[in-house]
Amino acid sequence: MGNQVFMQGNEAMAESAIRAGCKLFFGYPITPSSEVPEYYARAMRERPEEGITFIQAETEVAAFNMVAGAAATGHRAMTATSGPGFSLGQEAMSYMSAADLPAVIVEIMRAGPADGEILAAQGDYFQATKGGGHGDYCNLVLAPYSVQELCELMQESFELAEKYRNPVILLSDATLAKMRESVELPGRPELPVPSELPNALRGCGKDKEPHKVITCGDGAVQWGAFNDRLQAKYQVIREAEERWESYNLEDADIILVAYGSMARVCVSAMNLARAEGIKVGMIRPISLWPFPQKAFAGITGKKFLVCELSAGQMVEDVKLSVENKRDVSFFGKLGGTTPSPKVVLEQIRKMEVC
Amino acid sequence: MKQELLLSGIGGQGVITLGESLCDAAVKAGFQVTFVPFYGQEKRGGRTMCNITISDQVESPIISEANIMLIFDERSLHDYQELMDPNGTLILNSSMIDAEPTCQYGKLDKVPFYDIAQELGNPKTANIVALGYLAKLLPMIPYDLVAQQVERSFARKPKLIPINLEALKKGYELS
Repeated sequence: MGNQVFMQGNEAMAESAIRAGCKLFFGYPITPSSEVPEYYARAMRERPEEGITFIQAETEVAAFNMVAGAAATGHRAMTATSGPGFSLGQEAMSYMSAADLPAVIVEIMRAGPADGEILAAQGDYFQATKGGGHGDYCNLVLAPYSVQELCELMQESFELAEKYRNPVILLSDATLAKMRESVELPGRPELPVPSELPNALRGCGKDKEPHKVITCGDGAVQWGAFNDRLQAKYQVIREAEERWESYNLEDADIILVAYGSMARVCVSAMNLARAEGIKVGMIRPISLWPFPQKAFAGITGKKFLVCELSAGQMVEDVKLSVENKRDVSFFGKLGGTTPSPKVVLEQIRKMEVC
Repeated sequence: MKQELLLSGIGGQGVITLGESLCDAAVKAGFQVTFVPFYGQEKRGGRTMCNITISDQVESPIISEANIMLIFDERSLHDYQELMDPNGTLILNSSMIDAEPTCQYGKLDKVPFYDIAQELGNPKTANIVALGYLAKLLPMIPYDLVAQQVERSFARKPKLIPINLEALKKGYELS
């Protein structure tokens, strides 16, 4: 318990980003993400030694484009928003992807379309993992399930963004955002020199090639090559960056699949089921794009129960990953209600009877 | 050891502050603690509820059944009583609740938190009276840690510390 603090998810995540050297934050307040811009605003005022710049933009459209601009300087930059704001930012997401700009976007999902309910949900899985904006592009999507993991993945997001010159989406929900639990805040990693990064526009100095940020080709041939290069990058990411955690798979008859706060509930449900003698295991995807297909490789003769706070989105990626999609069942809740471990246990019991 | 708690009331009654103070003390006592608040879009007068787990290990932050449920208003009782552990303790703020619970419970405590706070001289301390009441039911969290937390949470308004410590003690001695 040495260096642990009891901290809210949003605030711990913001502190983690500051320690990761992200000194540029652009945002527009929207529940349940507002504590992140608030934290940056306070830090800018109270910790001048950090050299933080926080700008409350006039809309999310502006905030996302400010992130794109800042990323083109080689400095770490981020924004945090929720459903409606994330939708407004999609044009900039598409541009950042095309321009190979590294940035971290925190999306704290709301429940349902339009304004949505501010409680926990996972209905933006498709939007985050399948594009969201226009064009054939992909963003890395990471989904933590605890305040500790929020902090760790926040730091890793910046490293991945720079490594691949690609936006990284940290996908959170209202439960993770608002909950408090014990966390050991990460340290301050060694940072690259911003002007040395290939995404940094630094002019034509002596002995230095200028860096370019390009979002298009010229003519059909070049456009084809431009897109092929992006797709080749996505393929490298697919092969290298699948992340997941598996639990009790060896003897499991039923395997739960869940991410984010729903996964946290499912771990407890798995333990309740095991206490009753039902052999339950679990796969927890941590990277949602690339989806951890390797986690499912070679698993046969077991039933899968995918649990989501949506009408069924990740379940499609699970069906694409398993040997036999008829083994996959779905349990979802909508509108901001998170089922308790006992409710998930009832679903597991039903599968046992089948 | 594992305790699941649900606290609920109306925005402004101090339910979230109560829950956070209890959790901070539980963390200092060495437990794994999760605290999840739930509230609506209203600025005032909306529902405020929180789920708390205090355990030796990391748990789901969403509770299955409340071993201890503290309810400040009737609407919260109506909304959340189905989550009551049939062997658990249900505490109702009888200053504001006339209705009888329809759920199963192990023990029912009706405590007029607002009337007690009024007698102490400040009805706003009702949540701290309730915190003291809860602290007695959770003996694994030393009382001194809870008292220290109350002092910390009023650090910016030191004039209010004595009456809140009195409220805490009053609640503790009630249960």
